[in-house]
Amino acid sequence: MVRLGVAINLVIGQLAAALLLPLFLDAVGTILVASLVGWRAALVTGLTAQVLAAVLSGNFAWLPFAVVQVVIALYASLAARAGALRSYWTAVPAGLLLGFIAGSTAAPIAYYVFGGATAGGVTVVTTALRALGLPLQASVYISSLSTDLLDKTISFALVCMVLRTLPRHLAARFPALAR
Amino acid sequence: MIGYENDTSVLHGAHPYTPLALAGAVFCLVFAARSPEHVGALLAVAVLLAVLAGALGQALRAALAIALPTIVLLLVLHGLLGPAPYSFVGPFLISDSGFERAVVLGGRITTVLVATVAVLRSVSPARLVDAMTDRGVPFSVTYLLVSTLTLVPRMRQRAAGILEAQQCRGLRLGGSPFARLAALRPLTLPLILGALMEVDEQVLALDSRGVGRSPRRTALDPPADTEFEWLLRWMCLVVVVAAWTARAREWLL
Repeated sequence: MVRLGVAINLVIGQLAAALLLPLFLDAVGTILVASLVGWRAALVTGLTAQVLAAVLSGNFAWLPFAVVQVVIALYASLAARAGALRSYWTAVPAGLLLGFIAGSTAAPIAYYVFGGATAGGVTVVTTALRALGLPLQASVYISSLSTDLLDKTISFALVCMVLRTLPRHLAARFPALAR
Repeated sequence: MIGYENDTSVLHGAHPYTPLALAGAVFCLVFAARSPEHVGALLAVAVLLAVLAGALGQALRAALAIALPTIVLLLVLHGLLGPAPYSFVGPFLISDSGFERAVVLGGRITTVLVATVAVLRSVSPARLVDAMTDRGVPFSVTYLLVSTLTLVPRMRQRAAGILEAQQCRGLRLGGSPFARLAALRPLTLPLILGALMEVDEQVLALDSRGVGRSPRRTALDPPADTEFEWLLRWMCLVVVVAAWTARAREWLL
């Protein structure tokens, strides 16, 4: 399951890019594994995906963002245990909250480690806000938060959709799903 | 994608742990470095690694493609929009401290990139697995790393196939943001459910072959290691610990 989660994290962004959606969707696999297996497997999924994304892109500079994957894995397994992924009515607010937490975790890394220049689209927003006169810290935080709120809400909704359409014989293989 | 290429360079002949340790040390040290001079020195070390791996051309291409756009953004964010005092650099009014910060941050990213390219080009995944098996790393860890690397291209192909199939059935990729968001469902659902079913079959196959039961496996042809390389790897660790201890002392004092 971990390798499936890692592959989903690395591949699903390709579909978002084909649809020209400003989303990373790089945590869908982590959230799925957290809901089907548990937090330990989700943690390994998130960290492995971050390392392999660095290997495949050739840029290990983004490795400090692995901390965000840890936060996502822990939060997603807690949310799944609480039943937040059973319906869209609970998955969407839970995803929004994760977006807030993930954005708040990523912003200090983006500011202190990379000086605010991270992924292209996010940095363009940061630069625009900075040009409007906002302090750099605030610009980085707002741009990081705005992308993560949308990204993680949609990621949670996607995983909720997968869990709801999971065939019964497959669902029976995951005891964590029954809890 | 930057990957392994068969060659006879110095790093290709080394134990796989040695280039990894060298690049890991450069990665840790460059994030501890704060002045442009220190970052520049580490960039020189990374370039030396690329030369030893016979990957200087690839490293420069990667630096141009990945690091240069980030450096330009950093110069805009910190140089043009940075705090006073300012100085003229050509026609541009550039913040002095912002320019120094942009140079340090851009230098870090370039250094990591060049060192990474050197390692990726010189460390053979097969030799790395042999080295890990020889050192007693559990099979589940090596299987996870290697099989995921082979699974990702397959999943990418499948994603492209699903995209084409759904377009044949009339799925439109354009339109309003909401229409594009709605199109995510017919694309992601078959990809994830199909992969889940495949994993289910693979788990049964692996279980029936008793994979993971053996306490320790024997590598057929483990890479040779030398005392010099062993010492070099430990030196990397000592230098990194010393640098970060000095940095921690700066923070505390």
